[in-house]
Amino acid sequence: MKPSQIAAHALPALAGSIVWLATTVCAAQDVFPTRPINVVTHASPGGGTDATARAMLLGARSALGVSMAVVPKTGGSGIVAMNYVNNRPRDGYTVMAITPTHLFAIARGQGPLTIDDLVGVVRATDDPLVVMVRQDSDVKSLNDLIELGRRRSIKWGSAQIGGIDHVAGAILAQVAATQLSVVPFSGGGEIVTNLMGGNIDAAALNLTEALGQIQRGDFRALAVMAKERLALIPDVPTTVELGYDVVYSTIRGYVVLKGVPEDRIQTLESGMLAGMRQEAYQSYLRGSGLDSSGIAGREVWNAQIQRLYVDARQAMIDLGIIEEE
Amino acid sequence: MGLPGLEYALPVFTDPLVIGLIILGTVAGVVVGALPGLSSSMAIALLLPFSLYLDPVPAISLLAALYCAGTYGGSITAILINAPGAPPAAATAFDGYPMAVKGEAGRALGIAAIASSSGGIFSVIVLLFAAPFLARIAYSFGPPEYFALAIFGLSMLASISAEAPVKNLIGGCLGLLIATVGVDLTTGVERFTFGVPELSDGIHFIPVLIGLFAVTELLSQAQKLGQEKFGVRLSAVKLPSLDDLRRVKGTILRSSVIGTFIGVLPAEGATMAAMIGYNEAKRWSDEPEEFGKGAIEGVAGPEAANNAATGGAMVPTLALGIPGSATAAVILGGLQVHGLRPGPYLFDEQPGLLYGIFFAMLLANVLFLFVGLAGAKIFSRISLVPPTLLWPTVFALCFVGAYGLEQSVIDVWVMMLAGLLGFVLKRHGFAPAPIIMGLVLGGLVESSLAQSLIIFDQQWTGFLGRPIALVFLGLASISVLWAPTRAAIGRLLPRNRRTA
Repeated sequence: MKPSQIAAHALPALAGSIVWLATTVCAAQDVFPTRPINVVTHASPGGGTDATARAMLLGARSALGVSMAVVPKTGGSGIVAMNYVNNRPRDGYTVMAITPTHLFAIARGQGPLTIDDLVGVVRATDDPLVVMVRQDSDVKSLNDLIELGRRRSIKWGSAQIGGIDHVAGAILAQVAATQLSVVPFSGGGEIVTNLMGGNIDAAALNLTEALGQIQRGDFRALAVMAKERLALIPDVPTTVELGYDVVYSTIRGYVVLKGVPEDRIQTLESGMLAGMRQEAYQSYLRGSGLDSSGIAGREVWNAQIQRLYVDARQAMIDLGIIEEE
Repeated sequence: MGLPGLEYALPVFTDPLVIGLIILGTVAGVVVGALPGLSSSMAIALLLPFSLYLDPVPAISLLAALYCAGTYGGSITAILINAPGAPPAAATAFDGYPMAVKGEAGRALGIAAIASSSGGIFSVIVLLFAAPFLARIAYSFGPPEYFALAIFGLSMLASISAEAPVKNLIGGCLGLLIATVGVDLTTGVERFTFGVPELSDGIHFIPVLIGLFAVTELLSQAQKLGQEKFGVRLSAVKLPSLDDLRRVKGTILRSSVIGTFIGVLPAEGATMAAMIGYNEAKRWSDEPEEFGKGAIEGVAGPEAANNAATGGAMVPTLALGIPGSATAAVILGGLQVHGLRPGPYLFDEQPGLLYGIFFAMLLANVLFLFVGLAGAKIFSRISLVPPTLLWPTVFALCFVGAYGLEQSVIDVWVMMLAGLLGFVLKRHGFAPAPIIMGLVLGGLVESSLAQSLIIFDQQWTGFLGRPIALVFLGLASISVLWAPTRAAIGRLLPRNRRTA
């Protein structure tokens, strides 16, 4: 059976459920929320985005007074999730978790949404990438690494082609006029293992993914890809300090689509912020080596989404993935 | 020689709350594991919020018990209705369902419970003694080693089912082909997705499994209706005998070692362990021709291996903070929600928590043995339900299972297509086992080879510098050459005796 036929069979069912939802929504126009809120993620259960969402929901449920559930729609760099959310009514009952990966996909022109469709609600984590190598490596600094890449191509571990750590590496190589070849893996854990096993030279990982290895002295952090140093590794310089304006961070936040009424966005914002202030979310942050500085309201978050998108587009143009208009 | 950390066992075994939670987790795990479409990782993710109201030890005990029992639970539906509840149980269906058809459901279920429990207990004991040491093994496995291991797994492809080797190879290639659907890891290019975004992550394993096994069987049963008188087989509820246990002893031990080892490797998990456990059970069997027709070693082999892999998977999860499987990843999330960061220092700083988890897993493995043995008598009656009632019910369950995974209609279509394909192939003498094997190992073979070649700067000779990879590639070559050699010796030997 062809996919078009599959779609032809799936669509009536989908349309039916939308009509049903639309009628139930009209009945409860004034009070929000009155029924469960779904948080759509692009990650499978257990991933960072999933865990972050679940930890946030623990507190947000009681703050908003309704039940909330995580709906995983995995695949296609968030495109499956974006398709799903795009087909839901824009009534505030569907919230989408986004990461820079989604913005890269939108910048590539993939998926049903444009950047103007995204309306930020809250930011949940801001987790900068850290360039690291194995402790016993000859590479002692970021400049050593760049020099290495001029002699031979750096083997750079990356979790996804076109994902944030790939783009971060590629842009760093471009800015520093050095060479790297990307070794793709399917997750941060695999990169840690292979960096430890000496199969790759370097990688950009979230501090959360390799804090144990850094603290124990297995890995050496060369540079934080941010403007400011990290409290947990205060001796590690930033890329900006070293003269490379390459800033990349795994940012997780929540958005709704344009068209959701203003007062509902406000309710969601305050409910989710309250949820993240509670002990469950805070202890989750501590457990993953983060602090609450990643939490932000929609003003900060919206401005950041716009900025991230412009950067993502520029990165795609620089890497020759898309063409300038 | 006492078990290490025994002083931490007492709080686990005397706290009624912890015991109660382990029992709850075990029973829930068996149920969730048995139902296709519900996975233990999903159940654990759902339980995570509730576990937050508990202290870390009871909370993680609950999740770990669910994990152990869930891996066993998958075998129940694999044996009874040819619908593996979870991917690791796929290999169990190869021989488990034929046993149920022969009227030996109780025997198969009993063997599965005993093998699972033994494998699980073995791996937890290894964990108690050697977790920090084993964790280092994970580091010595890079892409070249995974490639060699996967090739070793595929080396049994030609002989995995009783059908003609060439048909097995064709089936295996079909599995490899299905594994290529989705975004290519090394290039990021979509292959065979036909613009359907749901396919960009590849074809999901569960719907294919349900289709190839359960839907195919349903279609075959539908053909037979009216032709076959249905007789009640009372032997179905009989449990395995002591003789059976003696027969599978070696298989269980071998599979426990294999499962623990493969479980330790991050990213590889119980499914691959079960496949290799099945392969090796067949290779070392005196009657390999019985495999696929209902050999008890064919049930014991994969079941011991997949449960041993659960203990193994906890090694990198707890000792390195690198999840050893999808479910272990959720348990890792559970530890983080409690503000604990797994890693090497956890063993020094939180021995009470760690050994508490180990002993909880030990208890869960013992508990589900009793649940399994007591349940076997009850569950096995399902095989006494007349096919006219059973299979339509199974069909409904198939839909729920395929759809429930990700609430995706595409998965339902995949299941139906896989069922039709399986039916046509079965009529032409192709077994599902090699297809499943190609599908399980295909993605790994391809991605690890591509990664290896990038690491080796596209020089194939790079493999010569990797001793572990060479050992597995050597074993794979021996494995391929073994069957023809043995056949040749078999032809020669009797003749020699006659002349002597």
